[in-house]
Amino acid sequence: MTERPDELDREADEWLVRKATSDGGIDAYEVLIRRHRDRIYRIALRMTGNTHDADDVAQDIVLQLWTALAGFVGDSSFTTWLYRIVVNRCLNHIKRRRNDDPILDPDVATSPGADAQAVARARARATMAALTALPPDLRAPIVLHEIEQLSYQEVATILNLSEPTVRGRLHRGRRRLAEAMQEWT
Amino acid sequence: MSTTDGPRDDPRDDGDAELACGRSLDAVIEQVSAGHAAERDAHQRGCVHCQAALGEYERLWTPLRELAAEKVTAPEGTIDEALARIRGAIAEPDYAVLTSVDGVTRVAARVVVVAARHTAEAVPGVRVALSKNLTGRATDSEVAAGVAGSSAAIEITLAADYGQRLHQLGDEVRRSVTERVRRLTDIEPVEVTVIIDDVLG
Repeated sequence: MTERPDELDREADEWLVRKATSDGGIDAYEVLIRRHRDRIYRIALRMTGNTHDADDVAQDIVLQLWTALAGFVGDSSFTTWLYRIVVNRCLNHIKRRRNDDPILDPDVATSPGADAQAVARARARATMAALTALPPDLRAPIVLHEIEQLSYQEVATILNLSEPTVRGRLHRGRRRLAEAMQEWT
Repeated sequence: MSTTDGPRDDPRDDGDAELACGRSLDAVIEQVSAGHAAERDAHQRGCVHCQAALGEYERLWTPLRELAAEKVTAPEGTIDEALARIRGAIAEPDYAVLTSVDGVTRVAARVVVVAARHTAEAVPGVRVALSKNLTGRATDSEVAAGVAGSSAAIEITLAADYGQRLHQLGDEVRRSVTERVRRLTDIEPVEVTVIIDDVLG
C-alpha cells in the first residue's frame, strides 16, 4: 500500500465516510479516526494548552463525530470539516472552563547547567504558554495557520470567517505572541 | 460555537504599528512567519530598521516553528476508549447504559418512550400523544426514543386541542418531557423533537 499524507488522500477519507455511514460502519469509522487521531489530539493540545483537557476534548470529538458523520455532505474535504468540528469543540471547552487561565503541563525545572534538551523543553513550554494566553478568537487562527500550516482561505472556511477577518486576527495574534515571547527570550 | 466576524474585528482595533522607516510592522511579522525573512526587497536591503526588525522577529518566531514541527501523537487509550464506548452503545441499541461505582443499570428505550408519552399527554393543550422508536423499529405508538450510552433522542407526535398557541405548546412539551425523563431515568434527553400532527376541535 502506498503511504500518502492524509491531506492528499481526500478520496480515501470520503470512501471511509460512505462506509461508516452505511451498514457495519463502525469498522470504517474506526479506521477513519485512526487516520486522523493525531491531528485531532494535536489541535486539541495546542488550543487547550494541556494534555488533560486535550484528552477530554479528543474523546468528546470521537463520540460527537460518530453521530455527526451523517451530516457530512462533502461540500468541503473531510479534513476541513473535521478541523471545523475540532476547533469549535475546543472553543466550547475553553468557554465552559470556569477559569480560562491555561493549565499548562508541568515540566522539568531548568537550571544554569541544564542540557540543551531541557532548554528546548522549557522554550517549548514558554511558547505554549504564550499561545494559550491568546484570547480564543485569536488563538484559533494562529493554531490553524502557524501550527497546522493551513492557508488563509482554509482557515477562513474552517472558522466561518471572511479572509480579511482571518488576516486581521492573525496580525493581532502574531503581535501579541511576539510581545509574549519577548518576555521569555 | 461559531467564530463569526465581530465588532472586535474592526481593522482600527490594535491598529498596525509602523517601523521608524514607515514600513508596516504587521507586514514584517507576516514576512517572518511565512519563512521569508531572508528574501528582502530593495528597501529592506538598505534599511537598518527593517533589517533589525526582521532579525528580531526571526529570533522570536523560531520557538513557534519548533512547536509546529514537533510531532504530537495521541496517547494510547484516549481515542480507543471513546471508540469502545461507541461499540458498546451499538451492541445494545435498545438500552441506555447508566454506569455507577456499584454497577451498571440498563434502561430499555421503550421505558423512555412510555415516560415521554405520558408526560406529553399531561401537558394542557395536548389531546393525544404518540411515540415511536428512532432506531426504526415499528411500534404500536408513535413516541420514539433512540438511546446510546446514557443519552436519548426522543420524538413525539401529538394532536393538539384547537385554539392552542402551537409554538408555545411545543416548547412546553419539550421542557416537560426533558425534565421528566431526566428525573425518572437519569438518561439525558439530548434532543426532543415535537411534531404537532393535527389540531382537534
